[in-house]
Amino acid sequence: MARERVTQADEWQAWAQRYDIEGGIRTFESGLTVKVFVGALFVGLLMMPGSIYLSYVSGESGAGAAPWVAVILFTELARRSFTTARRQELYMLLGLTGAAVGSGMQYRSFIWYAYFINTPQAASYEIADKIPEWVVPAGDSVGVLTRSLLHPDWLLPIGIYLVGKLLGTLRSVSAQYILFRLTADLERLPYPMAPITAQGATALAETTGKEETWRWRVFSIGSMAGLIWGFLYIGVPSLTGVMMSQPIQILKIPWIDFTQSIEGFAPTGVFAFRTDFGQMLFGFVLPFPIVMTEFIAAMATQFVLNPQILYRFEILHQWKPGLDVRGVGLFNGLDFWMSCGMGKSFSFAVVGMAASVPMLFKMGRTKKTAGERGVFAPPPNRGDFPIWLMGLLWFVGMGGFVWLIHWMVPNFPLSFLLGFAFLYTPLNSYITARTFGVLGRDLFDIPYLHEITFILSRYEEVDIWFAPLPDEDYGRGTQSWRVLELTGTTFTSNLAGTLLIMPILIVSGIVVMHFIWKIAPIPSAQYPYAQMMWPINATNECLWKTSLRDGNSEMLQAIRGDYVAAGFTGSLAIYGMLWVFKLPSMWFYGIVGGIGADPGSMMARLLGAVIGRFYMIKRFGMKRWYMFNPVLAAGFACGVGLIGMGTVAIALVSKAVIVKPF
Amino acid sequence: MEKIASFVIILGTFLWLFSIIVFEGRWQWQMFSALVLILGIFCAHFWEELRDTGNSEEGDEG
Repeated sequence: MARERVTQADEWQAWAQRYDIEGGIRTFESGLTVKVFVGALFVGLLMMPGSIYLSYVSGESGAGAAPWVAVILFTELARRSFTTARRQELYMLLGLTGAAVGSGMQYRSFIWYAYFINTPQAASYEIADKIPEWVVPAGDSVGVLTRSLLHPDWLLPIGIYLVGKLLGTLRSVSAQYILFRLTADLERLPYPMAPITAQGATALAETTGKEETWRWRVFSIGSMAGLIWGFLYIGVPSLTGVMMSQPIQILKIPWIDFTQSIEGFAPTGVFAFRTDFGQMLFGFVLPFPIVMTEFIAAMATQFVLNPQILYRFEILHQWKPGLDVRGVGLFNGLDFWMSCGMGKSFSFAVVGMAASVPMLFKMGRTKKTAGERGVFAPPPNRGDFPIWLMGLLWFVGMGGFVWLIHWMVPNFPLSFLLGFAFLYTPLNSYITARTFGVLGRDLFDIPYLHEITFILSRYEEVDIWFAPLPDEDYGRGTQSWRVLELTGTTFTSNLAGTLLIMPILIVSGIVVMHFIWKIAPIPSAQYPYAQMMWPINATNECLWKTSLRDGNSEMLQAIRGDYVAAGFTGSLAIYGMLWVFKLPSMWFYGIVGGIGADPGSMMARLLGAVIGRFYMIKRFGMKRWYMFNPVLAAGFACGVGLIGMGTVAIALVSKAVIVKPF
Repeated sequence: MEKIASFVIILGTFLWLFSIIVFEGRWQWQMFSALVLILGIFCAHFWEELRDTGNSEEGDEG
């Protein structure tokens, strides 16, 4: 019997509906209230100094859990005050607290370059005197020597940074919005990871109401699982690392490597079992066909394609016995997979355009209601913006940014900047938006793009290495717009909250960073992580910034046109054949995502997907399971985040205590 | 249109395999196959969307 063709439109629509747990019917409300704004500022600014301090002391900022702590505090306060917190408020609180905690880190580069400019490495590589004044004042300036970010010497670097930040906000908000409209409204891509954050906020909001629903119970189960897992996986090694010279790892972190065990029958194959079972939760959430096809494609690569074809034909020629997963991965990447991966990524753009262009053609011919696939009209009261205005803002933001870079490095060819800004960035962002819409992660990455650009431009000055380039990616940010939609938060209130909090964070971030720098030089014994890592990082930075001086880079030589073409055309052929044989187009993303990857890294995710598909759906029913699993994943993330923060704090306190020998 | 799209895609896939086996994967031949495949994939999606329109218009009339 002939298989019936299910169009891509119907396939995506069906998946989008699974993740849209309220059936696409929702009302939109503002999430911005005075209590949310003050709460976010309070918790954020309270944790920001600790977060910066921790990052210099231990290398971990612990900022991930801060927004959840704020939300839990907020809901507890609401319960004790006999008021309720809406999910829109809690989602806004999550976002604003995250921004507040992270705001100090935006000035990290100033401290880094103030150190770098006076390092012996920078002097020996003849870079120190070539670092532009818009990056850092001179090494012997008062602002650097007295460790003061508030000194007038810093006016130019900080001024340039602020202009860049303003233009960057214009660009990112407008571009993310346009891409969101294209991928979520027009194409109806499901954004499988978006419900996790949305459902976390919703579950916690319900705790402040009169009746607690299943959400709070499921969230609590997830949180407890996260706490237990976090304790075993993060807590035990961190705490024992404080007391013993060799920390105890119950499960080897981050993987158990079987690469050498399989090399007898699968030379050039890799298999490293990733021990992070938190990935199981993502397996619950992601579409089963994608997880399954991804795993099968990865197995086929490592056990058939690599050893039986690519190795035999000496395409993978650098491999030798005895290498671990990192060595095999590096050599395989240089020999073939890095180039092939670039080609695969470009195929996502072509496939995306092939799906979108006919829809755009058709838009004027059919009448559909908002919320249907192929319709550009937004749902009512979502707080949407005119597309033309967002397009204009992006052009202004990008035009200003290109002008700024041109002012910073006037001799660098303008054509390259314009190419990056108006060709590469839109294409790159669209590809990422699509991969986030389907897979919930980024797949598109052109390695050594800056190095390639600098070689092609024949520009030899070092200053270009310090300048930002307009090669941006807004695709990742489209997911947060989908979360706003799922939580029923108006877009306008989110934008207003972001813009209102930004000036406060800009000022407070500089002040806090200034004081932390004043406590002691960074790096110094007060900041052991920085003291250990920064000299190595300085050497690496010098190596990179001088790597093209002799016009020879092993990495650049690894990119081969025929392998890029193989990745591109092969992926298109897979997509085409799936269409011809009426197979789900979702398989394409799984197969292409899995080709070249390590199947061991997917085991936990696969286990989650199999349990979800063959046990949980049968046990709870499809609809209920798709309602449960994002809440469970959100609770789990919250639990792991809290345990991580707690153990880092204990480790920090113990390291602050100095035992004297008398 | 469905049959044409299928034919073009199959042709593109064969061209690609041919370019790999016979021309040792020269990028020019591979990109030529890619062009054929892109043509087929665009045809396929145009057909899907136009077919949808046909169905919905019929539905409206009905």
